[in-house]
Amino acid sequence: MTFKVKSLGTAALATIMMAGTAYAGGHSDVCNTPTALGDLGNFEGEVITIAGSMEGKDEEMLTNTISCFEKATGAVVKYSGSRDFAALIVADLRSNNAPNIAIFPQPGLAGDMAKEGHLVPLGDDLANWMANNYGAGQSWVDLGTYADANGKKDFYGFAFKMDLKSLVWYSPEQFEDNGYEIPTTMEELIALSDQMVADGNTPWCIGVESGNATGWTATDWMEDIMLRTTSPENYDRWVSNDLAFNSPEVVNAMNIYGQFSRNDDYVAGGASSVATTFFGDAPKGLFSTPASCMMHRQASFIPAFFPKKGEEVANGEADFFYFPPFASEDLGNPVLGAGTLWTMTKDSPATRAFFQFMTEASAHEAWMSQGTFLTAHKGANLDAYATPALRKQGEILSNATTFRFDASDLMPGAIGAGAFWSEMTAFANGQDAQTTADNIQAAWDAIK
Amino acid sequence: MINRTLRHVVLALIVFIWVVPFVALVTTSIRSETASKTSGFWTAFTPTELGHRFSTHDGDEFQNNVVFSGNIFDRLNTEDSNYAVTGEVTSILFKGRVPDPDNAGKTILIRKLVQPGEPMEVRDGSFVFQPNGDFEWTFPEATSPKSKNLDAFIMQDPTFGPDAYIEVLFEDKNVPNALISSFIVTIPATIIPITIAAFAAYAFAWMSFPGRDWLFVIVVSLMVVPTQLAFLPVLQGFSGIASWATQLNAWLTDCEVTDTCQVASKSFAGLWITHTAFGLPLAIYLLRNYIVGLPKELLQSARIDGANHLQIFTKIIVPLSVPALASFSIFQFLWVWNDLIVALYIGPNNAEDLVFPIRLQKQLGTFKDQLHLLNASAVISMVVPVIVFLSMQRYFIRGLLAGSVKGG
Repeated sequence: MTFKVKSLGTAALATIMMAGTAYAGGHSDVCNTPTALGDLGNFEGEVITIAGSMEGKDEEMLTNTISCFEKATGAVVKYSGSRDFAALIVADLRSNNAPNIAIFPQPGLAGDMAKEGHLVPLGDDLANWMANNYGAGQSWVDLGTYADANGKKDFYGFAFKMDLKSLVWYSPEQFEDNGYEIPTTMEELIALSDQMVADGNTPWCIGVESGNATGWTATDWMEDIMLRTTSPENYDRWVSNDLAFNSPEVVNAMNIYGQFSRNDDYVAGGASSVATTFFGDAPKGLFSTPASCMMHRQASFIPAFFPKKGEEVANGEADFFYFPPFASEDLGNPVLGAGTLWTMTKDSPATRAFFQFMTEASAHEAWMSQGTFLTAHKGANLDAYATPALRKQGEILSNATTFRFDASDLMPGAIGAGAFWSEMTAFANGQDAQTTADNIQAAWDAIK
Repeated sequence: MINRTLRHVVLALIVFIWVVPFVALVTTSIRSETASKTSGFWTAFTPTELGHRFSTHDGDEFQNNVVFSGNIFDRLNTEDSNYAVTGEVTSILFKGRVPDPDNAGKTILIRKLVQPGEPMEVRDGSFVFQPNGDFEWTFPEATSPKSKNLDAFIMQDPTFGPDAYIEVLFEDKNVPNALISSFIVTIPATIIPITIAAFAAYAFAWMSFPGRDWLFVIVVSLMVVPTQLAFLPVLQGFSGIASWATQLNAWLTDCEVTDTCQVASKSFAGLWITHTAFGLPLAIYLLRNYIVGLPKELLQSARIDGANHLQIFTKIIVPLSVPALASFSIFQFLWVWNDLIVALYIGPNNAEDLVFPIRLQKQLGTFKDQLHLLNASAVISMVVPVIVFLSMQRYFIRGLLAGSVKGG
């Protein structure tokens, strides 16, 4: 009897191990990129640990991409992803359990950690490389430059994997059936929304729930509208709080966002559902039977949350258009974006080689070919993009007359990943715009 | 009599309330993806009307003809699965713009549910379908129409299948690995504290030494220390030990690369120690209070017969304490099995070493929209504590009876 149980256990283990090998082998073709990978050195048996917040499909694509580095150098790269990354990385860094690389989705938190002395500067060579080889390179370098405890500024965050935020997703089939046209100005977009309401449709799906990051979707809306209602200079002053959060420009933008999100006719499920709808579930309304909404404003990563994990974009069931500017404001074509920041939290030669790997066009192309990945790397071959849709997003990125980073990412952690999120959630729950702006400004005053 | 009936009704109601979520979980896990996404679990047992989107044909399948025909169910069931859609097509949702009778030159959107047998205009052809799914698409002249997606409402027969379980257990190694990891963590983290606590409880109950009562008060007051408070110092401690062990390893063996030298600070052993430390105060408290209540005469007669403390403990106290030991084991097992936060901070974070609650949490990100898979994993994780509970219950009752006979 004992023997039987034992042998069963062994058989099960063997099966599991075999499944593991098959899985790892199945994705090696992504390393076969248009641009060849340069020589990175040999790090046989060295281990690099990476911590980040990417899970699910993103984690799969990340693991496939780093497998190219493993193949080239012999190093072992272990990625651990958790939705609680922000809390876990702080505990790990403060207790000397740092991984080699931490991928911060929020520059605010990375800046805080740099100040505590937990990040290793990447050096001027990488900073110069990024300034020269990324589109809008200097602004990416600025995004990853923080002050340490003594106020000395260094380059810590390597931007890799960018998102384009100013997109509106829709179903071409629905637009065709209903006879709707793609709007090219904000005025047209609002008129189209009203038309949809008159037709008995619901124009928007909006959801801002995201666990302990609830509210960030609303901040993206705010930022996009800020760029469309006031000058880029004012936007920068807003980020540094030289323009107070409760100034008329900001409150005006919040009110315009409110015209969309707090309008029961505009939002599927009514305005009260905005705060409780998971941001990843919100776009599913585009594809339900019958469709519960017509449009969804969200960043370029969102197809991973579509019912068929983004296949919709490839087969034409979903498409996007640029979130248009107001014709009356004459502010050009502003674009809002973001990027994840890869920081070195524990130095080692193999880790340095990994950062070298991220400068290689091949590393970008390996991920581009798997979908939902945008890059500002000018050397990367655009043919590597998995779909024409991604290529189109790349073009929006390059056609922008104004490019700005996600403001909430640039604000201090207590605001950009704190008060701004929670107060925008309160706004979704019915708090008025002036109070919301006053509360955020009060929180900002408190940390000055 | 009325009293008893009332009691039964209240009991039945409580049982019902507790069983509903479980039934929901299990039902959802054996339904098809579409069904679990679009309708509640209570609709699973009767024919239910569900919306399905189908395309009229593939790419260039329909070429240069006047009449095309097909079957909606064939179009929906192109993939081989246990959840083939069967039933009756009740209607198709038609959307389109027609001239507005009130405003010349303008159009209005109409949406209506088209019934079987009723023609509707699709891509300038006339589309007629039957309840059994057969459709005919007639054009005024020979043409090659583009395919069209239509929303059909189908009165669907209930179907169940084990697909979700097969997928989570065999598709990849995540769930089996999580099961193994959870066992690796939970079994020692239950046995170690209960062993230490039994000895300590005996000492606190029957051995007299100076400061005994004060020590006991300190142990009991440790129960209120929240686990979260200790994460940082505990982690720092483990990381210190790990770096010391790494150096020792490098000194003793001739390892050269991190892969073979590195001793991880986040490990299963760390979890055992942490769970033991935080489980001990309650365990000592419970067992001490139980052991102190055992009949004094038994121990005194054992003493007279010449038994020492160890003999008394192993031969008398442990057999008599089986009910208390069993109930605490169940308690500790459930707590460790379901623990997320300690494992998240202190446990190993390699993908293959994650315990079940972390795996479930990760699946929330991956499968948030695939309730059937998430629920299948949840059911698998629930089965283990249920088995443990039912098997321990036997000892629980036996120990209780043994105590009652021998006591006095």
